Amino acid sequence: MTVTDQRLNGRRVNPFPMQDRLSVPRERYYDRDFFELEKKHLWRHTWQMACRLEEIPEVGDFTEYIICDQSILVVRQSEERIRGFFNACRHRATELLKGSGSLLGGQIVCPFHGWRWNSDGSNSFVYGSEAFEAECLKPDDIKLEECQSAVWGGCVWINLDPDAPPLAEMLAPAAAILEPLGFADMKVWWWKEVVLNVNWKLAMEAFLEGYHTMRTHSQLTMGAGEEWPAGSLGYETFEHGHSRFFSKPSDQPMSPDMFIAFARVLWEGQDAMTLERDVRVFEGIRNRPDAQANAAPVAIAALYEYAAGAGIPLPQLTPEQMGQWGGEIFLFPNFFVLPQYGNALSYRCRPFEDNPEKCRFEVWSLTLYPEGEEPGRATLKGRFAQDDEENWGLIPRQDFSNMERQQRGLHSDSFGHMRLATEWEGAIANLHHEVDRYIAR
Amino acid sequence: MAAPGHPTASGPAEPVAARRVRVEPAAVTFAIEPQESVIAAAWRAGFQWPTTCWGQAECGVCAMEVLEGVELLSPVGPAEARRLRALPRRDGAGRRLACQAQVVGPGTVTVRKPGVRTRSAESSPSA
Repeated sequence: MTVTDQRLNGRRVNPFPMQDRLSVPRERYYDRDFFELEKKHLWRHTWQMACRLEEIPEVGDFTEYIICDQSILVVRQSEERIRGFFNACRHRATELLKGSGSLLGGQIVCPFHGWRWNSDGSNSFVYGSEAFEAECLKPDDIKLEECQSAVWGGCVWINLDPDAPPLAEMLAPAAAILEPLGFADMKVWWWKEVVLNVNWKLAMEAFLEGYHTMRTHSQLTMGAGEEWPAGSLGYETFEHGHSRFFSKPSDQPMSPDMFIAFARVLWEGQDAMTLERDVRVFEGIRNRPDAQANAAPVAIAALYEYAAGAGIPLPQLTPEQMGQWGGEIFLFPNFFVLPQYGNALSYRCRPFEDNPEKCRFEVWSLTLYPEGEEPGRATLKGRFAQDDEENWGLIPRQDFSNMERQQRGLHSDSFGHMRLATEWEGAIANLHHEVDRYIAR
Repeated sequence: MAAPGHPTASGPAEPVAARRVRVEPAAVTFAIEPQESVIAAAWRAGFQWPTTCWGQAECGVCAMEVLEGVELLSPVGPAEARRLRALPRRDGAGRRLACQAQVVGPGTVTVRKPGVRTRSAESSPSA
């Protein structure tokens, strides 16, 4: 019996459980048994973002989603219908398709013996079928095994557990915060990935709080340094492991020069959340008399005016909804959205190469395109080293630079557990507690 | 021109700028849309075209000899080039994969591909 199957008083044994919301045992980031528990009881039962809709825009398009040792084919069967299939031939297990592409004639073909399936998963051809006993070729047995799939937020979500509750139930209540912000209509501006030598949770935790901004992204304090207010963001945790942070209402007016300088730092630092087109609009208010006392409302009004003229479907928002700009929404277990204006930054983080201390971290810059100017099929630009200055802006490079030092620090004989700021790092504890709930079931 | 008695995908009132593929020795012609591969156009017009990988540029079974109109075909991409290099050498016109080649301008491309014939109902993919 492996550690993954032991139970005590009805709950599955967890060798390194969360004891409270103040600390995280270090072993949760590198222990093999804990990693195996996550593979078996978290990843096989949780809803996860498998691909963006614009990765499979045409009927017959497919893409492969890999989570740990499982490969899922996400296939657009028709304009409306998308399906997820376990990627294994029903004959002798060969993975049917790799990467992404298009099915010509709607056929999924095994590269080994040429068995074929329709894009609804039904078998369409067994080469040399006369050589098999009838019981080996029962149509229900040889159709492709399907997993749960659903569409939300411009993305396809899958769940390997046929008995998992519906996606909408599991994304609540955090998903509802994103819906008014136009997230579902955003499309890829760019999409890149990095492989990091850190646990998947550790990589994500760098993005679950803004507390690190003062030191890690010192350029964003606009010279304030240690005077930068650590409490400028509000935090909220939700059931199902989700969380968010948001900009607290500020009575501090900002000059046009300061507002534009901050926008430019974001654009130049990551080409996401704030794009060049936004900076250009903001430049237009620099000398306007009505913007001198407080630039932000005038700049935002100018942005809406520009969007209306350009055909960009920037949604109207309440002040509270607008407070989510510059903040972040985390959807358990591994998906982030950081919306701002008509743009968003988005992350997805997965374990990599069956190694508890490696992860694959993807980054999307998303935007609302003018109507009729949406780009074609989205493709990953590539996998780039964490210090690649050509492909990663200063902000993500700063984030990545801490992570491997942190992962190594976890192994220090001096270190036992993480210490969390109750107000600012609660989302980290919330994530770990949800992992434990999956493990315990 | 389509040979009499052979099916065409577009009717008698074809636009002047139509893109078409003629296949020998079956002597059949069918219309092809922009961004459509030759094999997909053939299937759409009701013909069978040999393949075992169904459009993944892996099997090479759909390879055709281009007899006329090579300048109307889309450029060879890396996956197709890799597969073409692995085909057995043969003299004559250059070859292309029907699952990759598209017709990029008006006119008729003539190719040679044995095995292309009207598809029977049983062999149709149901997708």
